[in-house]
Amino acid sequence: MRKLSYNLWFGKFEEKVELAEKLKESFKSARNNSPLPFNISDLGMEIFGKDYYKILRKIAIEVAEEKMEKELRSDEKYVIALVKALEELEEIINVLKEKKSDLELVKGTEIQDDFAESISNLERLKEKVEKEIEVVMERIAPNLTEVAGAKIGAKLIEKFGSLEKLAKAPASKIQIIGAERSLYKALARLKKGKEAKMPKHGIIFLHGFVRNLPKNKRGKMARFLAGKISIASKVDFFRGELEEGLHDLVKKRFEELRRK
Amino acid sequence: MRNVKFFGNIPATKSRYGSHYGEKIFEVGRERYREWVPWRSKLSAMIVKGYEVEFSGNEKILYLGAASGTTLSHLADIVDEGMIYAVEYSAKPFKKLLELARNRENIIPILADASKPQEYSGVVEKVDLIYQDLSQRNQVEILEINSKFFLKRRGRMLMMVKAKSIDSTVEPREVFSLVLKEVSEAFEILATGDLEPYHRDHIFVSGVRK
Repeated sequence: MRKLSYNLWFGKFEEKVELAEKLKESFKSARNNSPLPFNISDLGMEIFGKDYYKILRKIAIEVAEEKMEKELRSDEKYVIALVKALEELEEIINVLKEKKSDLELVKGTEIQDDFAESISNLERLKEKVEKEIEVVMERIAPNLTEVAGAKIGAKLIEKFGSLEKLAKAPASKIQIIGAERSLYKALARLKKGKEAKMPKHGIIFLHGFVRNLPKNKRGKMARFLAGKISIASKVDFFRGELEEGLHDLVKKRFEELRRK
Repeated sequence: MRNVKFFGNIPATKSRYGSHYGEKIFEVGRERYREWVPWRSKLSAMIVKGYEVEFSGNEKILYLGAASGTTLSHLADIVDEGMIYAVEYSAKPFKKLLELARNRENIIPILADASKPQEYSGVVEKVDLIYQDLSQRNQVEILEINSKFFLKRRGRMLMMVKAKSIDSTVEPREVFSLVLKEVSEAFEILATGDLEPYHRDHIFVSGVRK
């Protein structure tokens, strides 16, 4: 019969304990497929005495810190890469659709079906990417996701470079980011002493609450939404817990503006 | 209840520590109490609604779904001579949880998926109580497998159930009765009740392992 062996955070157990050299490493691999038939703290106290919990806590904190930092960084990078991929995909799909209808105008052949098939494949891929963005955003920025939606939230993180930068940005910048070109154009006109229209919204124009209002109210909504997005991303970055009610505020404001 | 005192309608836990999430601190003579708002914590809501949870203070607890440690901080005040293994999967709230764990000698933080107790089976000891506050569809299953790994015979469990996270397409009442049926396979149910108006469509279930 094979001897039973157990992986413990401080070493291996096989009839007797073999202490690990690096506790952090053994902590990370303290995996077992079935429950331990003994109480690990009893065994540990025999070895470490009353310092058992002190040592365990220290190692647990170190391991968790390391893992957390790694996960946070990789999740943000992942969502940024996904958003970039999504934007390209949207572009490609549009181009293909355009070419397909160009072809149709000239001559109806079978090749259009191939185009249609490719387009629908790409659209399925696009949906997958969008779903994945939602899942990751829910994890790294639940409040931002609730207020702005996963896609817009992810685009904002991508534009600013990280959730930290977004959390520390002024709301006015959040309001117009993505509309830099019209902003600079307006600024250039102002410099020359001419009249100019300042952009009211950039990326956040994509938000249904902004887009679905009449033109003269979009600015108000965009400003309000940007303010709430700023708060949401701050809560996400500094606290990390879902703050209920933020989204309701945004919705209420939208209803107000729509009725007026 | 151990280390819990009411200030008007709001409970507070006796604590040697400062504020963790912005809660108020009450001073009574030399003692210090941390306000425990029922809107922020389901366990507090349960206590406000008149349910008692007995603690002797030296319990070993496995806490599944500790989030950023709001409820955990009060539980750590209550079992001041015990030990709490706090499992949370999401890296985001873990930041705040780690702050707490660094200050409190009776919290061991574990960043892991609660549905895979295998991963931390060589860390967590046998416990007297499993406290579970997860918004996951298979939370009963997760409770059961963790009990198998860590809960002592006749050990207790206390779980918070959010109807929406189990099934948002049917009435909460139906979800709850299904959950109770599932739970009663491995546990003798001691008490259950809703948490209105503090947490809508939530119930708690407490039980003892069969």
